[in-house]
Amino acid sequence: MIRKKKGMKAAVISAAVALTLTACGGGVDAASTAGATSAAPEACGSYAIAMHAWVGYTASAQVLTNIGNKMGCTITQTQLDEGAVTYDAMEAGTIDLIVEDWGGGRWKDWADRGAVVDLGPDGNIGLIGMYVPQWMADKYPDITDSANLNKYADLFKTPESKGKGAWLEGPPGYTTIGEKLVKENKLNFTVLSQGSESALIDAFTKADKDQTAVLAYWWTPQNLLAKIKLARINFPANDWTDAAAASGLTDYPETVLPKLAGKKLAESTDPFGRLVKNWKWTNDDQNAVAADIDGGMTPEAAAQKWIDANADQVAAWTK
Amino acid sequence: MSATHDPLVVTSRRTIHRGWILLGILAIWFALGHALRGRATFQIGVFDQTSWSTRIGDAASSIRGNREHNPIFNYVFDPIRTFINGFVTIIRHVISLPIGKATIPLLGWLGVLALIVFVVYITSNVRMALLAALLIFGCGALGMWTDSMDTLALTITAVLMSLAIGIPLGIWGGLSDVGLKILTPILDLAQILPTLVYLAPLALFFLIGPASATIATMVYCIPIAIRITAFGIRGVPHSPVEAGTSMGTTTRQLLSKVQLPMAARTLVLGVNQTTLAALSFAVIATLIGAPGLGKPVINALVVRNVGNGFVAGLAVVLLAIMLDRSTSASVKKRDSFVPASPEALKRRRIGKVVAAVLTIVAMVLSRQFAWAAYFPKQAIFGKSLSHFTDSVVAWTVDNLGFWTTGLNKVVTIGVLNPLEAVLSESPWFVTTVAVALISFVLGGVRSAIVTSALLLGIVATGLWYDTMITFTQTIVATLLTMVVGVILGVWIGRSERVDRVLRPFLDAGQVLPAFVYLIPILGFFGPSRFTGIATGIVYSIPIVVKIVGEGIRDVPKTIMEAATSSGATKWQLITKVQLPAAKNSLLLATNQGLIFVLAVVVIGGFVGSGGLGYMVILGGAKPEMQGKGLLAGLAILLLGVMIDRVAQYAVRRNSAPKH
Repeated sequence: MIRKKKGMKAAVISAAVALTLTACGGGVDAASTAGATSAAPEACGSYAIAMHAWVGYTASAQVLTNIGNKMGCTITQTQLDEGAVTYDAMEAGTIDLIVEDWGGGRWKDWADRGAVVDLGPDGNIGLIGMYVPQWMADKYPDITDSANLNKYADLFKTPESKGKGAWLEGPPGYTTIGEKLVKENKLNFTVLSQGSESALIDAFTKADKDQTAVLAYWWTPQNLLAKIKLARINFPANDWTDAAAASGLTDYPETVLPKLAGKKLAESTDPFGRLVKNWKWTNDDQNAVAADIDGGMTPEAAAQKWIDANADQVAAWTK
Repeated sequence: MSATHDPLVVTSRRTIHRGWILLGILAIWFALGHALRGRATFQIGVFDQTSWSTRIGDAASSIRGNREHNPIFNYVFDPIRTFINGFVTIIRHVISLPIGKATIPLLGWLGVLALIVFVVYITSNVRMALLAALLIFGCGALGMWTDSMDTLALTITAVLMSLAIGIPLGIWGGLSDVGLKILTPILDLAQILPTLVYLAPLALFFLIGPASATIATMVYCIPIAIRITAFGIRGVPHSPVEAGTSMGTTTRQLLSKVQLPMAARTLVLGVNQTTLAALSFAVIATLIGAPGLGKPVINALVVRNVGNGFVAGLAVVLLAIMLDRSTSASVKKRDSFVPASPEALKRRRIGKVVAAVLTIVAMVLSRQFAWAAYFPKQAIFGKSLSHFTDSVVAWTVDNLGFWTTGLNKVVTIGVLNPLEAVLSESPWFVTTVAVALISFVLGGVRSAIVTSALLLGIVATGLWYDTMITFTQTIVATLLTMVVGVILGVWIGRSERVDRVLRPFLDAGQVLPAFVYLIPILGFFGPSRFTGIATGIVYSIPIVVKIVGEGIRDVPKTIMEAATSSGATKWQLITKVQLPAAKNSLLLATNQGLIFVLAVVVIGGFVGSGGLGYMVILGGAKPEMQGKGLLAGLAILLLGVMIDRVAQYAVRRNSAPKH
């Protein structure tokens, strides 16, 4: 026991000494030791960007992160699912920014409480839909009309699909209404959640390479479409914006994708606050960065490449 | 060996008899189910609401909307959240999270490493300290320094708080029979509860963030701390306690001078188990905002970056080994009864002083020089390991795809689909009656009543169909687990040597978070129900093997010798003597297997398993599905309790006197 007590005492003393040393004694700021951050002309806060798991989103978020950190702000990234989880986190103050929201107004409850603020469009136009590989559209020209899908359902059978066609759905964290589309349009398909963007990419890549049949959830802007040709299935014309209220009979809408901010960031006038409000770019811009990330570059490097190549635009945002 | 005199043979004849009855029930169930298939299955669309899901969803939205003005939030939940957040943040500021504009936390990597090594040295010994240094350095070399430290910070917080709550409750349960009676059902329930289930409700009350993550981890850990503490106190021999009482010590003195010191070994084991449990929760806690190693793992699920997720998983393993070895080494240290010689004590004292000085120097250096502040880039090989992993998985999928998809297809088409058709397509009343009858045969009247009640509860949730999908996957995974588990269990039960070789793997398997191997399994089998099932099998095999092995080893030597002398072959020995005699262990193993599998099969909702797990995940992702997600959590719980109760009753009935 004596042995143990001494040990404890030693631990306590050394911890105390260490803390005094490190807290005030040393007096050397870690940042200056590193010499990493350049002297920022204007004070800027620290903000967290919610990271949703598709590469286009990463592209947008990373560009803002790079610019923000360069300006002397502290920008961190937090992995979170799309939707309620993120809005809750924003309300709790752990998240400050969503760079691209596909929820179609699902944040309304939070906005009413002032927890989430719509900062307007980020410039990207989103379109979700169900796609087949181009070879199928060439071989069966009428397949792109949703009314004819049942005719070809047998082509899409898998062991998972319960004797019907397999309808590969987007991950649960995405905006999806597959179940409703299948039910309301009386399609002979089973909706199978795929869990990830890359599972869908795998499915399309394989279908394209081996000329196999696949019907899956996809969207633009997404740089895969530059590599593999896909054909979109057309459902009756869209008549909704909020997925929760969608009838299920009609197609996904073209969505003007907004950027959403938490209260703190929305009211901020520091460099990052201004950057976020000024920032707006196109589907092509996003695809350019996303293609580099997809090609094996780190998001940081891919974003920096775009920033360096578009200095004027960046300068306009950071004014 | 004359059959009439041997009780074992009588038992096995009765088993056979019961086996036929069970087969009969199954046959009738399948036939009836097939004849009436598609009727009264309660199948509803994913987005269809039931009256309960709407009600729960509305309640959840109103909780969400009125947080700011609700006194319970203002005076209970919010202060708790603030306190825990503050606690985590302080530890993170020391080891992982830079303060303000700084680019490193209070301590650079060398300082943190030195501090950890010092603590391990003080609590155990030099060898463990060196091992800890190596493992912590390994986390950095994997390119996961900051994430590892975040996970460590959260684990430390959760463990300290779990112990602060768990040990007093454990002492209560250890000293008072009333306490134990009150605690036991709660502890049982907590052990059945799949982790995925309580994340959403916690997030509702504590919002997304480190606080919720810590609380969720605590929910998982506290039962373990309570159980082991109570067990330790109850395990103290009576004589010292009586001696103490007769000398007129107070209850408090008795506790602090006799019972706690004598139970110290078990208490440290409790710390060890609590720590490992907390760490194994680190990944899933990311779903509600935990920083750290869970992020790359979960990210790997969503963008399927298998290599990166694998590397992060490896860092979890290194942390687990570090925490496990250093806490269990401090148990061993307590074991030595030989008093240390004065020289040894002196050496030790000098060692401590030197270590303390070195640690302080390292901590100061880590704030002064870049090389000690930032983990050296040259030492990081995580990226290449990640790429290597990716190429291994890609190679396997390309070249062994025939086998992986083949195995997937055989199980899916051969077992999963037919069973799913029976369970989900039969009318609910047919299935309920059949399961209740099976429960009756296995566990008796009470078992049947409890089973029926729980099944009716599931019917009431309106999620019967999805429950049956999940139930099917649980059964298939458990069957496969039992096949492998019994083979391995018999093997280690019969041979000490095999046991020595396999045990470290089993121990490691119990510590690994399921997500860590879910990633490569997903890489091999793609999104499908089989991926969830395979993960469930890997997760539950260690516990099943251990229980079966124990059971086989506990078969009385005399029975074995009697059988051997009457000329039984090895095969006969196993099938006619050891397995029947270890029947209770088999039942217990099945019970644990089912519970473990269920916890992981629901996680399969992330990778295309559907069923209740998918519903829970969907509920977290889509506000309009919130009520249904919470309801699905309840259905999982009911299913788990049902499975557990049947097995418990069966074990109890089996071990009741046979006259």
